[in-house]
Amino acid sequence: MVGPQYDFLANPLGAVRSTFDTAIASGSDPSSLNGRDWGAIDLFRHFLFDQSQLSQVPLLTPATVRYVKPNTLVRFRGMVQDMLGNEFYVGAYKDGSAWRTNKFMDVCQYPIPIGSSADTLIWERRLLYCVPVPGLNSWAEISPEAVGNLSMDWTSEQRDKRRREDEESSNMAVESDEVGCSPNTKRMREGEHPPLASQSQGAVPEIAGSIMSLVPGLDDDSSCCLVKIYDLPESELKLNDVFEFVGILTSDSELQEDTEDSDLSNGFGEDPLHHFPPNKVPRLHCFIHRKLSVLDFLQNKPIIEPKPDLVKGIREALLRHLSAVLGNDDIAAHFMLLHLLSKVHARVDNLAVGKFSVNFTCFSKETASIFGKQLNLAIKNLVPFTHCIPLTVEYLNTATLAPKKNYDTNRLETGVLQLAEGSHMIVDETQLEAGTLNSVGVENARLLQNLTELQKVEYDFKYYKMEMVTDVQLLVLSEGKSNILPADVIVPIRPSQTICFEAAEAEALEAWRWYLATIRQLPHCIESEMQKMVESDLVAARQADRSLNPQDLSRWLTMGRLMSISFGETSLSLEHWQMAKELERLRRERLK
Amino acid sequence: MNTKGVDFATDKVLAREFLSNFADANGEAKYLNILQDVANHKARAVQIDLEDLINYKDLDEEFLRRVTENTRRYIGIFADAIDELMPEPTEAFIDDDHDILMTQRSDEGTEGVDGSDPHQKMPPEIKRFFEVYIRASSKGRPFTIREVKASNIGQLVRIAGIVTRCSDVKPLMQVAVYTCEDCGFEIYQEVTARVFMPLFECPSRRCVMNKSKGNIILQLRASKFLRFQEAKIQELAEHVPKGHIPRTMTVHLRGELTRKVAPGDVVELSGIFLPIPYVGFRAMRAGLVADTYLEAMSVNHFKKKYEEYEFRGDEEEQIARLAEDGDIYDKLARSLAPEIFGHEDIKKALLLLLVGAPHRTLKDGMKIRGDLHICLMGDPGVAKSQLLKHIINVAPRGVYTTGKGSSGVGLTAAVQKDPVTNEMVLEGGALVLADMGICAIDEFDKMDESDRTSIHEVMEQQTVSIAKAGITTSLNARTAVLAAANPAWGRYDLRRTPAENINLPPALLSRFDLLWLILDRADMDNDLETARHIVYVHQYKESPALGFTPLEPSVLRAYISTARRLSPTVPRELEEYIATAYSNIRQEEAKSTTPHSYTTVRTLLSILRISAALARLRFSEAVAQSDVDEALRLMQMSKFSLYSEERQKSGLDAISDIYSILRDEAARSNRMDVNYRDALNWISRKGYSEAQLKECLEEYAALNVWQIHPQTFDIRFIDA
Repeated sequence: MVGPQYDFLANPLGAVRSTFDTAIASGSDPSSLNGRDWGAIDLFRHFLFDQSQLSQVPLLTPATVRYVKPNTLVRFRGMVQDMLGNEFYVGAYKDGSAWRTNKFMDVCQYPIPIGSSADTLIWERRLLYCVPVPGLNSWAEISPEAVGNLSMDWTSEQRDKRRREDEESSNMAVESDEVGCSPNTKRMREGEHPPLASQSQGAVPEIAGSIMSLVPGLDDDSSCCLVKIYDLPESELKLNDVFEFVGILTSDSELQEDTEDSDLSNGFGEDPLHHFPPNKVPRLHCFIHRKLSVLDFLQNKPIIEPKPDLVKGIREALLRHLSAVLGNDDIAAHFMLLHLLSKVHARVDNLAVGKFSVNFTCFSKETASIFGKQLNLAIKNLVPFTHCIPLTVEYLNTATLAPKKNYDTNRLETGVLQLAEGSHMIVDETQLEAGTLNSVGVENARLLQNLTELQKVEYDFKYYKMEMVTDVQLLVLSEGKSNILPADVIVPIRPSQTICFEAAEAEALEAWRWYLATIRQLPHCIESEMQKMVESDLVAARQADRSLNPQDLSRWLTMGRLMSISFGETSLSLEHWQMAKELERLRRERLK
Repeated sequence: MNTKGVDFATDKVLAREFLSNFADANGEAKYLNILQDVANHKARAVQIDLEDLINYKDLDEEFLRRVTENTRRYIGIFADAIDELMPEPTEAFIDDDHDILMTQRSDEGTEGVDGSDPHQKMPPEIKRFFEVYIRASSKGRPFTIREVKASNIGQLVRIAGIVTRCSDVKPLMQVAVYTCEDCGFEIYQEVTARVFMPLFECPSRRCVMNKSKGNIILQLRASKFLRFQEAKIQELAEHVPKGHIPRTMTVHLRGELTRKVAPGDVVELSGIFLPIPYVGFRAMRAGLVADTYLEAMSVNHFKKKYEEYEFRGDEEEQIARLAEDGDIYDKLARSLAPEIFGHEDIKKALLLLLVGAPHRTLKDGMKIRGDLHICLMGDPGVAKSQLLKHIINVAPRGVYTTGKGSSGVGLTAAVQKDPVTNEMVLEGGALVLADMGICAIDEFDKMDESDRTSIHEVMEQQTVSIAKAGITTSLNARTAVLAAANPAWGRYDLRRTPAENINLPPALLSRFDLLWLILDRADMDNDLETARHIVYVHQYKESPALGFTPLEPSVLRAYISTARRLSPTVPRELEEYIATAYSNIRQEEAKSTTPHSYTTVRTLLSILRISAALARLRFSEAVAQSDVDEALRLMQMSKFSLYSEERQKSGLDAISDIYSILRDEAARSNRMDVNYRDALNWISRKGYSEAQLKECLEEYAALNVWQIHPQTFDIRFIDA
């Protein structure tokens, strides 16, 4: 391939163009390309992974967004929150006798000769609206050092000016007109739209709060990103998946929509792009994306094989920690561990196999506030994405749990239950008092019930509902058995001590995070001999107790599996099966 | 450009030939007839079916391809061709403004001084009274919105979707007409985009030559406007791949196609997929992002009824193959909810519910329903709800609701105040919504008292009567009711009588054709099966193989819809047979001290309905004796599911019971020989299996009660 004569970080478009020219020169016909890659992506893949330059690419965060230059290479980590459909663009056109491309760009560089439609090729790209992963805990955020090197000259030059502008623009954009003396303002049509022009100064995307309030459920200061995807099969990117995108950041002020024009071009005024002016939401033309697992969110990755001794040691320590959090209740701690390791690993006819939601009961309002806080804190420190819902009648009646399509803006408005895979959620039912649910409340209660039973959330598309599968670890805290959230297993909690929670050391926390992230991914199987054994055990249990339903039996198997992988084992042994059964026996004893 | 011009000219000739020569199935000149209607101002739309073009005898494949790929251009070509072909009106009609204007213009046209001026030449659009639409062929599957790619731009596509938004209908200027104050000429300006730049100076040759810069005035009355509506369609839920968001598309509806859709409609559109041309500054600057829309050419509303089911692909062939297969009844029944183990007879009953019997209207106006009603009663956790939901999925029109869960509208209907207009409006409940379909009601026993009373009417008369807030009306609710209920005390209590366990009034129960009890019995085999299943699922992350390949729901639906088109009748010779069977049941009931059920005329109707449904499944126009026997067997099985306990208590074991059945039947017909088929029919009506019959035959043959024919198994009683 071509030598590294381009600056991939600062001028990625140069690489795109020169590869395009090479491809055309070597005889490929642009019309037969049909938008497919001509070697540019390979070049970037080589640069990023084979030369491991990925860490050099600046990361787009609310803190860095204003210092990153447009048309440079950036990274963005986020969850796909909405899919805005596809966009058609003039992919290649003939400028005189030479073909030029517009791929990975928002605005073409040279004016396209109008009227010669034979010499313009229309290609398509897909738009994804990405948000930071909901519920991301602070430890899982990338530390500032790892953000990647910013071109310092740009930063220092801009910093003072930005600060000044920020103060002013917070008052209102109109007054800040005079401040704007950047060349861009002059290139705008003179005096036509002073408010608009002022916003576009510096051509640097700025994450302002005002526009974000359109999207409920997102914090004001969160940074969203519009990712444009090229050449990929549709099946690869799914809603609610967490990705890292690497691509070109664009935020050309020239793309600023003229309000008058767009009113005419779209009768409904619902063009989604309209709601994300480029100076608020940065656009990223994606070269490469990769799906992130929980492991990618660990700061210092101790790259070790899950050796049995090591795993056992960490397991013991983690159990001690959980037990301390739960007031020295060993059984509850065991269930908690299994719960934290659970994930939906298969879906068989409407059944989510592997889910293991836990309902801790016997809390009163007082103990719940103490233990709930501790538990919440402990879990926050262990898993990257967490949520906590204090369930009250008012909350049920007012909250928007399910995402809903808003046809006025043509956007999917997110709901509390739009979560990334592997999120953890605590529902605190102890606050719930008797009251009347309205229709929203009934619907929300049904959604929560569906989530616990099927691990599915119905997204509201007004004319129909669409079920989306989720994988959420659900922990319910309640006084008695929760009927709104019928969890898989009910564990009455018996704390022997009230408060004895010592903060865990950072090193131990890191080991536990690694343990949970790694162990969860382990494959698992049941040998055929063990299978027979388990079958006969189940039959005997059911013969003895008619009240056991298939769901209970299925849960036993899940417990066996989780118990086994918690020791780092990949196949079920008799010992672990017995342990799971014993744990279940102890729990049932408590229920009596 | 020149070469293309020649192309279009020849294509215009082709279009003209097609329009004048095409003859439909009846040999009528379809398009000339339409043109005559247009000339008489009876119709406006000239819809050209691509299907007709395909069927046209002198089809030019290339021409067809060009029309599909450059549709917009060809609409113009067809319109030009129509202009040339337009016949003289044959009927008188009242001239409207437009016509008067036209006559005036054509008079002036002759004295035109500088007719060659392009701005003064009348554009053909303004003369046209008609609109041309080219409709895509309805063969094959329509596109989903997702499948429409950049390469489809400019082409004619057919798309299925749901309408989510509709704008108001607005006028869209097609030809702007100006008059010049100076020279007095009419100036025409064609408008092709959504925005246009109005003229300010008279462009006519006279004004230009005189440099008078004549002031021109837009004449709204003389200009031609089109009705215009914008709509948004969205992908249907079933077309969206897992983990994706439905896509949307903008649709432009013009002229006759406006006001055809409303939000919520499921439609199939054919239209031209076009980019929106940017105008002015934006086009020069950006030129990059192109919005697209669909210029609608035809609108079809989807109807999801069995009667209007259209076959896709090779479904017709598959059905024909299935119908030849003798085992169709079992095969279809097993394919219902294949993941639910066992319950063969219940699935058979549910299949019959899907098929239904024809409705009958008697001469005196009395209606007899054809829909079967089934009630499933049983312990919690025996997959009742799953069965219900599965049936709803298979049925093209089905509503699933719970007895208590439905909104304020309830199951039947309610009168509600519209929050905007304050008018009282009727809102249909689940039963009304499921008209001509299936209504599955879960937790039937927990239903509101008010709904329960009105459900009596729904189940027999198939209407819902409303007399509330000054509105008295009756709504159609021709639905098959599939109910699921829990026993009175949550679980079935074997120590109590069935009547006590079933917590529903007899008047309601008698309306169900079949009532089934599903118990969760302590059964070793069953438990082992369950345990195996669970372990298998955990081990292999999929359901164990079923031992057969279930039919796809779409095939099932297609088969059922074909079956529903038949309306089988009962042949005269069977009437006697059914009557005897009915009177036998009545007599048995009279004999027994504790009657289990109330056999009424309703039961007789049920037998007829089930038999007719079975005949439909066989694609037969006449009910056969085997249908009646199977109907009786199903009814018997449904009773046994309720009273099996007592049967065992009654002392007679199966073998001797079978013997007594055979003996009685033989004595009744005064015969010594019993055909094996007949014997099997008799005993299966009482709920015994073939294996039991064989056992009985061998046992009693050994006792020398009868002789069995070694090949045919026919029975001959030995006269004692």
